Amino acid sequence: MEGLDTRILSAFALFRVMPFPSLQKLLVVFIGCAIPFTVRSDEKLVSFSREVLPILSDRCFHCHGPDASHRKAKLRLDIESEAKRDRGDYFVVAEGDLKASDLWYRIITEDGDELMPPPDSHRKPLTSDERDIMRRWIEQGAKWGKHWAFEKPARAEVPDLAKHPIDAFVRAKLEEQSLSHSPPAEAHTQLRRLSFDLTGLSPGVDELENKNWETIVDQKLASPHHGERLAVWWLDAARYSDTDGYQQDLERTNWPWRDWVVNAFNQNMPFDQFTIEQFAGDLLPDATPEQILATCFHRNHMTNGEGGRHPEESRIDYVIDRVNTTGTVWLGLTLGCTQCHDHKFDPVSQKDYYSLFAYFNSIEETGAAGRKATPYLDYQSPLADRAVKEAEAHVAVCKPLEAAAKVEATKRFDSWLAKAEASLSPDFQAWHGMKPLRVGSAEGTEFVVEDDGTVQTKGPRLRQDDYRVTFAGPKNLTRVAGWKLEVFPDESHTDGKLSRGKEGEFILTNVKLVVQRKGESQVREMELKGAVADLETDVKGRKYGKVKDTLDDDPRNGWTTNGKGLTDPHTAIFELSEPLLVDPEEELTFILLHRSTNGDANIGRFRISATDQRGETVRSLKAAPLEEASRAGKISPELRNRLLSQFILDDAPYQAAKSDHDEAVRQYAAAKKAAGTLGVQVLAERKEPRDTHVLVRGVWDAKGDIVQRSVLPAVLALPAEKAQTRLDFAKWIVSSDNPLTARVTVNHLWQMMFGAGLVRTPEDFGLQGESPTHPELLDWLAVELMENDWNLRHIFRLIATSETYRQSSAVTPELLERDPENRWLARAPRFRLPAWMIRDNALQASGLLNPAIGGPPIKPWQPEGVWEEIFMGRFTYQPSVGPAQYRRTLYAYWRRSSAPTFLFDSAQRRVCEVGVRRTNTPLQALTLLNDTAMLEASRILAEKTNGLEGLAQRVLSRSLAPDETAILEREYAKALTFYRGAPEEATTLLTVGQQKPPPPERAPELAAWMTIASLMLNLDEAMTHE
Amino acid sequence: MNNFSDELNRRTFLGQSGLNLGAIALGGLLNDTNAVSRIAPKAKRVIFLTQSGGPSQLELFDYKPGLRKMAGTELPESIRQGQRLTTMTSGQKQLILPGITEFSRHGQSGATVSEWLPHTASIADELCFVKSMVTDQINHAPAMTKFLTGNQIPGRPSFGAWTSYGLGSVNKNLPDYLVLISRMKRPSDQPLYDHYWGSGFLPSKYQGVKLRNAKDSVLYLRDPDGLPREVRRGMLDGIGELNQKRFEQTGDPEIATRIQQYEMAYRMQTSIPELNDLSDEPESVFELYGPDSRRPGSYAANCIMARRLAERGVRFTQLFHPDWDHHSRLPSWCTARCRDTDQPSAALIKDLKMRGLLDDTLVIWGGEFGRGVAGQGKWDSPEAGRDHHPRCFTIWMAGGGVKPGTTYGATDNFSYNVAENPVHVRDLHATALNLLGIDHESFSYRFQGLDFKLTGVESARVVRDILV
Repeated sequence: MEGLDTRILSAFALFRVMPFPSLQKLLVVFIGCAIPFTVRSDEKLVSFSREVLPILSDRCFHCHGPDASHRKAKLRLDIESEAKRDRGDYFVVAEGDLKASDLWYRIITEDGDELMPPPDSHRKPLTSDERDIMRRWIEQGAKWGKHWAFEKPARAEVPDLAKHPIDAFVRAKLEEQSLSHSPPAEAHTQLRRLSFDLTGLSPGVDELENKNWETIVDQKLASPHHGERLAVWWLDAARYSDTDGYQQDLERTNWPWRDWVVNAFNQNMPFDQFTIEQFAGDLLPDATPEQILATCFHRNHMTNGEGGRHPEESRIDYVIDRVNTTGTVWLGLTLGCTQCHDHKFDPVSQKDYYSLFAYFNSIEETGAAGRKATPYLDYQSPLADRAVKEAEAHVAVCKPLEAAAKVEATKRFDSWLAKAEASLSPDFQAWHGMKPLRVGSAEGTEFVVEDDGTVQTKGPRLRQDDYRVTFAGPKNLTRVAGWKLEVFPDESHTDGKLSRGKEGEFILTNVKLVVQRKGESQVREMELKGAVADLETDVKGRKYGKVKDTLDDDPRNGWTTNGKGLTDPHTAIFELSEPLLVDPEEELTFILLHRSTNGDANIGRFRISATDQRGETVRSLKAAPLEEASRAGKISPELRNRLLSQFILDDAPYQAAKSDHDEAVRQYAAAKKAAGTLGVQVLAERKEPRDTHVLVRGVWDAKGDIVQRSVLPAVLALPAEKAQTRLDFAKWIVSSDNPLTARVTVNHLWQMMFGAGLVRTPEDFGLQGESPTHPELLDWLAVELMENDWNLRHIFRLIATSETYRQSSAVTPELLERDPENRWLARAPRFRLPAWMIRDNALQASGLLNPAIGGPPIKPWQPEGVWEEIFMGRFTYQPSVGPAQYRRTLYAYWRRSSAPTFLFDSAQRRVCEVGVRRTNTPLQALTLLNDTAMLEASRILAEKTNGLEGLAQRVLSRSLAPDETAILEREYAKALTFYRGAPEEATTLLTVGQQKPPPPERAPELAAWMTIASLMLNLDEAMTHE
Repeated sequence: MNNFSDELNRRTFLGQSGLNLGAIALGGLLNDTNAVSRIAPKAKRVIFLTQSGGPSQLELFDYKPGLRKMAGTELPESIRQGQRLTTMTSGQKQLILPGITEFSRHGQSGATVSEWLPHTASIADELCFVKSMVTDQINHAPAMTKFLTGNQIPGRPSFGAWTSYGLGSVNKNLPDYLVLISRMKRPSDQPLYDHYWGSGFLPSKYQGVKLRNAKDSVLYLRDPDGLPREVRRGMLDGIGELNQKRFEQTGDPEIATRIQQYEMAYRMQTSIPELNDLSDEPESVFELYGPDSRRPGSYAANCIMARRLAERGVRFTQLFHPDWDHHSRLPSWCTARCRDTDQPSAALIKDLKMRGLLDDTLVIWGGEFGRGVAGQGKWDSPEAGRDHHPRCFTIWMAGGGVKPGTTYGATDNFSYNVAENPVHVRDLHATALNLLGIDHESFSYRFQGLDFKLTGVESARVVRDILV
């Protein structure tokens, strides 16, 4: 700052200790007279919208902006007339007159009480550059304007710097920075880049031959995979999911809408039509089922079926979600801010928000979730039949294998039976009594252990207690498949009944079986699969009666005789999920919990025994088949069948074939169900519209003033009669006069191909969003989109044929330092592919990919137990079998509370997302190294490729350099040496997913190749858009 | 590129907090020893013992003997003041159910703790009970989301993610934020969504990593069967060398990061199994934490894990114990969850103290809301339970600069409204951040054009009365 200014300001500041603002005018006059004011003509003209407004927005609007409730000092700086108003004795902004402008004083003063923004606001003071902008702006006449994004885009003149308009605009910016484009990327890199961007898949090996670039671009745009690639963009924006989210997280069947999206993109549906159908397809004249289906977009939000939740609160949440999603996806506005208050930065009031809300407020919906989330469209998908046929064919593959396995297993059974018949003793006993090593209690019950292992309680009579009964592994058994608990009446009990409690009743709330190895502190808990008893009461809900209820961790239910047979012995049998192999080094502890609500019902006398017999022995109270066999002189056909059923439970090859077949049958049944008529959530208007109120502070039941439907006047005003319906609203969004939609949309397309938008905040084109790096280019593309009938492919083609797109992504340290975020595009961007593309590409490169389009969702591999642990077992994840496993990730079943585990940094699909998440973590490395699909792809690559060259062509679309070959050959040799010495390890590695064991003689070599294929799939280059 | 902006964002915050920028290597994370923030940190790490479902303050901590006289009478409207109820009880009369447990005073501080928590009672002098917690959500998922992310709508970063973002790593072999969920055998009514420990709009490297009680304790941690360590090492060497060549050709710093991350993954394959392997813990530890601590995946075993993580410098460890939603049958249901958690929670405090870790570890015990004074179901039957209640609940804290042996705040005679010193969830967040040396006002992250804070837009206060 010049010395003169500083001096004056010091004087000015001295006066400022006097009461404000009575003396100010005087002061202004005084200074104004003393120093004649001149505009420095050599200075660069300031742009209000690009330079001044961002400063005002960031530092001032919070308290002096559109939000009336937070406004301080009755001053607003977002409206010209207000900012420049004659305030009687002073001006905040005086055109051309720095000294008369209180704003200027407030940003430069050193007085902390006067400084703006106030130091305690945690907003940064203006930098010297920013102060300079404000100074020049006021001096140059304080010209006002709108925020750039609210001005209708105009087609700027294309600079005469290149043939291609995109290159011309980019080059103009590069020249300003004294930078230039990089040379073109290598041909295979360009092809990979294009192929990923437009189809989400790498090019096939045969596509690598030279072809005309324009032809390749057109082929990629015409590929059915193009629609799939765009659909992922759109599904993230639409928060699409196959379940509701929240507590129940129930399933919905909205996937036909997903296929509508794929199809719309594959038909190259104009984006305005695409928008209108999704907003208001139901309101179009003679709406087709597909047009109604399109409106599912606005039903893809989460729905909350939590018990105790007020449905109206939920319904309001859904409407809010639609408004916010519309704001983010089409308008690039953070409308969510105005749910509770006027926008602090953008010209959107809370009333405006609820006027938009009104368009979505009269849907025929109740706020319910699950299968009650009306309105529905009854819809039968034309794409489900293919899935049914595929599933049926897979059953046909599995069925004969199961039958053959059964024949083999039966042969093994026959030879076993022959031996068993010869050796079975006539008094075979399935159950083996066990004498406990120790019996203990948590609360103080005492025990007497009798010779036959029976345990009698004594000592204090307690309300609740846990018994811990510990045994050595039974000596005469090699394994334990189940255990039996016998409960006895006794004279010492109340009235000779079953317990010492008041009623002589017992209530067993839980049982557990843990195993502890000698010398170890920790135990293993054995999973119990089922329980049966001689006497149970069939109760509903959390009541005492059923023995199976002893297997959960809930003390509100459990096993009791419910007052019946209190003087008789009773028996319960518990089956282990997997038989426990007896190990003399291990002790078994049975824990009996008596923790019922009323208590006073602890078992009085009991005995525990164990069996090694699986099947009906541990699933019923009948005599074991082998016991019957030992008693019967001859084995009847019926008994033989029972013995066979038991035998094959332990026959691993048969169990594997049976499980494959069972899964195939289950999948076939699910596909058939999906091929029937489904309810798809759609929009439908109520007969009587609901009143819409402003919700005070956004609280669902705090109703303020009633508002009418209206579009956002600050974006594009419409006469009320043209803004009545959802259809009117949709048409307003894609009106060629709407300044936002086309810009926001081309920015999404740019982001898809460059990894980042021309506006780096794709969700926010408002005042707090980033300014475009290339404003003229953004506007030119927006106009180009609108003038070409909202043809998305036209924009993709334009971008793909530019030099900017086709240049190399290599960067020098100098350029990296000058432009670390590649805003000027002196190089192509280099970024990691989204997780879904990495998976799809591994399937594609290996040839595993099943390229079918649409249909019911599929379930890719994921580690065991992920759903189970979130819901404590309520949902079980069963991966798809057969060719369905290798469908594209787009079709993966999306449980809202647990997204597919492979997708390590994808959108979350809870609310709409249009930005890009891209991180680099060790968890991603683990996923790509160890996921089953990646390993299966590696196995297939090992089989299909002939050496390194073939592998490199498939995975990297190029040949290897000699130094690269040397590294890979070295690792191959090391792996081969290992697997030659351990061929069984090789077979284990290769037998992954649905892949069958290899021919033994090829196993070591194939396994070594598999590790190299996996290595290559994990290279940075393989997973990167270069 | 993205990492670069994250780093800029981080540095912007760190700059605002008065941290020494020169000490931060470009592209690297903040080193613990350089963490000199504007507020002197008292805690270096947090252990959050999350009791999901809403434990009953009336049965456990908030002793209201005066209620006995009012048993079965209707809750006065002067107290209820239009408090909304869930639709589970909004149709029934609000009849007072006095706390069904016996209380006594414990320790020199004389804190009231119920008979159902004898072990917690025995360490009352180590704890700071906050009896005046307030939230504004009445249903589980929104309330837990609020409790853990500061906002009821999913999408914001969790408290742990903010902490790991703000403080960075000490341990190079483990993630900064780990989550352990008790293994239980009943279908949960309140699923534990991963957004409870999510990173929201912060980069996903700050999200909590779930340590599962399963074959893969971290998803995809195990190498496939048939792939021995030596072959894996060779593969990683090959990946590293080829990536290095690519880095030299392209100049993309992201490749250098990827090389490091693959190496970290390799180290995690050793460090996590070591962490999970409790065989190096002496018998006395299992005796301290109780019999359930011998069962891997139990809350008690997870408490031992929490101490092991504290020893390894992990910034944020979060345990979840589900099933505190006791709408019925308090005598059997609530006692079951007390037995699961009482001894191990107390043991963790004792253990941390014995090892000199309590001073710089902040331990927080609590759930998303409290429970109402009205009985749900027939009030005078053992079958009765309680509905959700947002207007007051009790949590306790220990260590990490919190004043031990204190009780802060109080409720009215009905344990219905806060009578003095309300502590809103955002105040708890502000206080915890303060103990970690972070000023909650300036700790923000720019997203969608706005500066987001854990404590949200409403003003939050640091509860200075409970700080040492």
